[in-house]
Amino acid sequence: MQRFNFPVVQPDPALEDLRGELQAFLKEEREAGNFRPEPECWMAAADPKFSRKMGKRGWIGLTWSSQYGGHDKSALERYIVTEETLRSGAPVAAHWIADRQHAPMLLAHGTEEQKLDILPRIAAGECYFAIGLSEPGAGSDLANVKTKAEKVPEGWKVNGQKIWSSGAHMCHYMVALLRTSPADGRNRHVGLSQIMIDLSLPGVTIKPIVDLSGDAHFNEVYFEDVIVPDDCLLGEEGGGWKQVTGELAMERSGPERFLSSYITLETALHQLNGKMGSDSHARLGKLIASLRTLKGMSWGIANLLDQGVSPETEAALVKDLGNRLENDLTQQVRAMLNDLPSEDWSPDMRRIMNIGVLRSPPNTLRGGTTEVMRGITARQLGLR
Amino acid sequence: MINTEGMVAETATKIYTDLCARDVPHEAEAGRYPQALWDALTENGLPLAWVSEANGGFGADYDETFGAIWASAQAASPVPFAETLIANWMLDRAGLAPADGSASFALSGHTPSADIPFGMHADKIVLFDEAHHEISLFDNRLAVRSPEESLSPDGMTQFIFSGHLAEQSAKTDLSRRAIEALILTVRAVQMAAAMESALNMSIDYVTQREQFGRPLSKFQAIQQQLAVAASECAAATMAATQAASAIARHADDPEQAWHEAVVAKVQIGHSIEAVTVPFHQVHGAMGYTQEYDLHHYTRRLWAWRDALGNEHHWSKRLGETLAVTSPDHVWKGVTTGQWIAS
Ligand SMILES: Cc1cc2nc3c(=O)[nH]c(=O)nc-3n(C[C@H](O)[C@H](O)[C@H](O)COP(=O)(O)OP(=O)(O)OC[C@H]3O[C@@H](n4cnc5c(N)ncnc54)[C@H](O)[C@@H]3O)c2cc1C
Repeated sequence: MQRFNFPVVQPDPALEDLRGELQAFLKEEREAGNFRPEPECWMAAADPKFSRKMGKRGWIGLTWSSQYGGHDKSALERYIVTEETLRSGAPVAAHWIADRQHAPMLLAHGTEEQKLDILPRIAAGECYFAIGLSEPGAGSDLANVKTKAEKVPEGWKVNGQKIWSSGAHMCHYMVALLRTSPADGRNRHVGLSQIMIDLSLPGVTIKPIVDLSGDAHFNEVYFEDVIVPDDCLLGEEGGGWKQVTGELAMERSGPERFLSSYITLETALHQLNGKMGSDSHARLGKLIASLRTLKGMSWGIANLLDQGVSPETEAALVKDLGNRLENDLTQQVRAMLNDLPSEDWSPDMRRIMNIGVLRSPPNTLRGGTTEVMRGITARQLGLR
Repeated sequence: MINTEGMVAETATKIYTDLCARDVPHEAEAGRYPQALWDALTENGLPLAWVSEANGGFGADYDETFGAIWASAQAASPVPFAETLIANWMLDRAGLAPADGSASFALSGHTPSADIPFGMHADKIVLFDEAHHEISLFDNRLAVRSPEESLSPDGMTQFIFSGHLAEQSAKTDLSRRAIEALILTVRAVQMAAAMESALNMSIDYVTQREQFGRPLSKFQAIQQQLAVAASECAAATMAATQAASAIARHADDPEQAWHEAVVAKVQIGHSIEAVTVPFHQVHGAMGYTQEYDLHHYTRRLWAWRDALGNEHHWSKRLGETLAVTSPDHVWKGVTTGQWIAS
């Protein structure tokens, strides 16, 4: 009947208990001054101390087995943790990507020793990963990666450069998409592989890139004759493209694609308590309707992922709609705050709003640009 | 849910497939009312789907009946099927027998007169009088009917209630919010279905029509426009489905489904511009003609968007309602769909 597959799934009361525990913890941490809430916290607010606390509570590594330091819980429980930490703007960026992306990747493709060594450290909030996809000549056109890994007796020799690697300056590993054999004529999707690189190895140089707000969260990473052992090849040699696109579906549909700036609205709701005019009511109503709808879509995908289905197009739709909403949210809240003379804004409100504005451009870029998402949708519609 | 499987939904789909082919909405607009379509729906008892068995109906599943409404909107139904379902539901909730024939509905607040969808065709009008907690049935054929300007091919008429004697009246424990919840949800399902039909038409069109030596679908500008429209359609379907699920879950107390219904009305109302603009744009001049089918959907979308208050009205209502609750309650509603009533 319908073109896309978005099952409607009611919340499970058992999951809501977990939500309560998280809310209590996050409130306590914030009130103790252990963090200051920020929009885009999952990308830009890293605090290893906080990550270790999350690890101790069992809120990292929810989905994998206790044998590897995990907690044998479902992807849906992980979803609740994700939602609550985003809502509170907590400093979760250090462990976020490893927990979301690389742990499942290691479970699927890693050796037993790697799983026993690395996964418990990820779950403890002590081991962090960077995504090594983009290069200066390969952004949207990802298949254009040039960084090479050559087979040598000791393993693989890596040469080249990655860019925009979020958090690499504090990460222990990067999983990089590398060319391990030449393209087959015009088919550039063959000959690419995913390799896990220990960033402390000789030959690795990491240079932070300062963003327009003056912060430095992403990096250039250079590889010069870096030797990585054989078992760091993840999955199949030459299977990198397929693995990466599968991974992206998981990456694009989570709550971080539409709730990154929710903290801005939350803070404004406290500020505007009882002082909202009718124009602001209309803006609030519209935002809430979109947030509720996107939650339904994203939650539907989370349930599919939990059943082992990976809906790539649906994920692209959520990312496109969600990114538009995130940027719109910041703009709508700016307008709503007009109901309050600016001298009445709390310092936190001002800080959070400013961060929200400064960090708005990446929403529609990272994880694949809006234009690329729409290309995926168009293909599904049979237009390409 | 909007369930298109099951007896009610499948019967409706079959009737619409057989008796509401492409030419039917065109003929209806030219003044030839598709009586055969209406008769088939009635003979199969479909307008009684939401009437309790005790009252002569068959108390059908909400989910399946929403599936039947989905089918009717996709067929650009020119008969008051959804309206009669709603009107009969209102009568049933006041313990009154279902309407004999087709029916449409009005809510007080718009009294003494009301803008009635399908007002020229409905045999009966069901009025909810909020002040007196009363539901009344009027004979529409006895009224002097004056068509109003309407965006919709289904038309709209004024009904002046004062001076008319109700055929029947009874007290109801339904609140205005409960009735709004059902009506807004039905409209949301219709809008999501119509959007998807118009999307499908647009995709077919751009794949067939060639310009500059290739199909329009091969141009990236066209692809991007339809990809955006498709994402809005997917969101509309989610919003409508969430509202439909809330109605089914709270069948005894539809007021509980009010927030999800309003969310759907707001979400979809705001999306309509974002879809109807590209749908017409990619069709070029063809989509602007009477002869082509696209307007059966887009004109209804524009009309439904305004019916019972437009998206600005409902955004404000929702915002006002939520602004007085705590941010914790707002968050709870967004994440779980459990809205604290206020
Ligand atoms: C804050 C931030 C963090 C990031 N973190 C990481 C990370 O950790 N690891 C990593 O690997 N990468 C990361 N990225 C990189 C991100 O994935 C890329 O920015 C993105 O893929 C786009 O590539 P680009 O910047 O080279 O833009 P380009 O590809 O040069 O694109 C520029 C513009 O052209 C448009 N465009 C390009 N090709 C087409 C086409 N075929 N059709 C239509 N339009 C097109 C794009 O949509 C965009 O609008 C990060 C980026 C940001 C902003």
